Amino acid sequence: MKKGLEIFNEKAGCAACHVLKHAGSQGNIGPNLDMSKDAKNVAYVKKMVHEGLGVMPAFGEDGILTPEEVDIVSKYVAKVAGK
Amino acid sequence: MGEIMKNKKMINSSRRNFLAGSATVAGVAAAASVMPITIAQANHTDKGTKGLPKWVGWKKRSALIIHSDKGMETHRDAIGSSVITPLRHVYIRNNMPTMSDAQIGKKANWKLTVEGVKKPRTFTLAQLQQLGQTTVATVLQCSGNGRGFFNHKPSGSQWKTGAAACLVWTGCPVSEVVKACGGIASGAKFMTSTGADMPASMDPKKALVERSVPLKVYKDAILAWEVNGVDIPNAHGGPLRTITPGYFGINNVKHVGKLAFTAKESSVKYMKSSYRISPIGKKGSQYPTCWEMPVKSWITSPLTRAKNGNVVIQGVAFGGTGKVGSVKVSVDGGKNWKSAKFVGPDLGKFAWRQFVFEANLKKGTYKIASKASAGGKSQPKLRMENRRGYAHNGWLDHSVDVKVS
Repeated sequence: MKKGLEIFNEKAGCAACHVLKHAGSQGNIGPNLDMSKDAKNVAYVKKMVHEGLGVMPAFGEDGILTPEEVDIVSKYVAKVAGK
Repeated sequence: MGEIMKNKKMINSSRRNFLAGSATVAGVAAAASVMPITIAQANHTDKGTKGLPKWVGWKKRSALIIHSDKGMETHRDAIGSSVITPLRHVYIRNNMPTMSDAQIGKKANWKLTVEGVKKPRTFTLAQLQQLGQTTVATVLQCSGNGRGFFNHKPSGSQWKTGAAACLVWTGCPVSEVVKACGGIASGAKFMTSTGADMPASMDPKKALVERSVPLKVYKDAILAWEVNGVDIPNAHGGPLRTITPGYFGINNVKHVGKLAFTAKESSVKYMKSSYRISPIGKKGSQYPTCWEMPVKSWITSPLTRAKNGNVVIQGVAFGGTGKVGSVKVSVDGGKNWKSAKFVGPDLGKFAWRQFVFEANLKKGTYKIASKASAGGKSQPKLRMENRRGYAHNGWLDHSVDVKVS
């Protein structure tokens, strides 16, 4: 969890674009993860983080995060989204 | 939490301000005085009425399926049966944060720069309104409408049928703008629209919503300021939006600030890599982009249940850039097809038509499907498999299983 939060706020910089209350982030480019049904689904989140979409980088495909980091941050988001 | 607070990223260093009772406007304003506001934060609302974010609070909550605060689709039975979709029911899908009233400023002063013409210049919205006016009804449809039906679970909003609407736009024909600018510069092959909504902190190569369409589209395109009789709401790209009739939603650039006639397609991410229709497992700019919408239809009623006897089956059908010619309905999963009737006004080739089919059905379960044809092409049975789940027009996935009792 702590590692997931760290990747979210630091290495991946998800906070710049997303709202996620647990991480204290208020970004407003991409979907508000607390309001997103799909964000609670690990497989969905993992695919998004890996492939990216529109302005969202392909964190996995482009090697910004390691496969392990993609896994950790996806599990973290799916776990805390909306809580 | 303390360690994270030391992070130099603007968002995190201001988090304390947001968390410490900043749910009020005053709180946000206080935070703003501490650090420079980016468009992303200035626009942000954390609470809305009826579960809708404030910037779309005027919409009808019960008509919408909320995928996220940035993606909401219309319920299959909520597009109405009067051809034109009520604005309060229309789907939301924005790539960038919606511009606020403060960011837009006085609408009459909104600027549109025109390039790639013999006499490049900038128009205000007020000037465009004096240049010419026309009204066109079009189907506005997200490239990913139908993505929710794909088996391989492509990334992106899982729309079924609801990322589509039929709307009436009023604005200045692009052809009038071209005339006022002395004609298109030679060598131009595309009409490229650029949105003014990208936050200043972002990288234009990655975040700018800029889309090119084939030059010929300029003859049908308009620069719209009104939809369904009202100023285009900010959430739908007001005060000015490029309307490219017959082309997928992304090409109808919201908050348009620049219109250019270019020799090449735009090189931004939204043109080069996103919105490309590629095989599963493959990607790249060599694949076709989401341009012309294919022929499509779907049933809007009944969706799950009906009373035995005369059942009135309704739906909508459209041809994309060409007039929809006909639509057939099957009540046995596609074994037998019969022609349905178009009803209601024909609002032109870019709008959809309502169709009606009456069937006398005994008690039982029926797989009801519709299949439209336009310009010699019919909807295929199966979806065209592609990586991102774009351009779905297969009739089987759009069929409904109705219990008649």
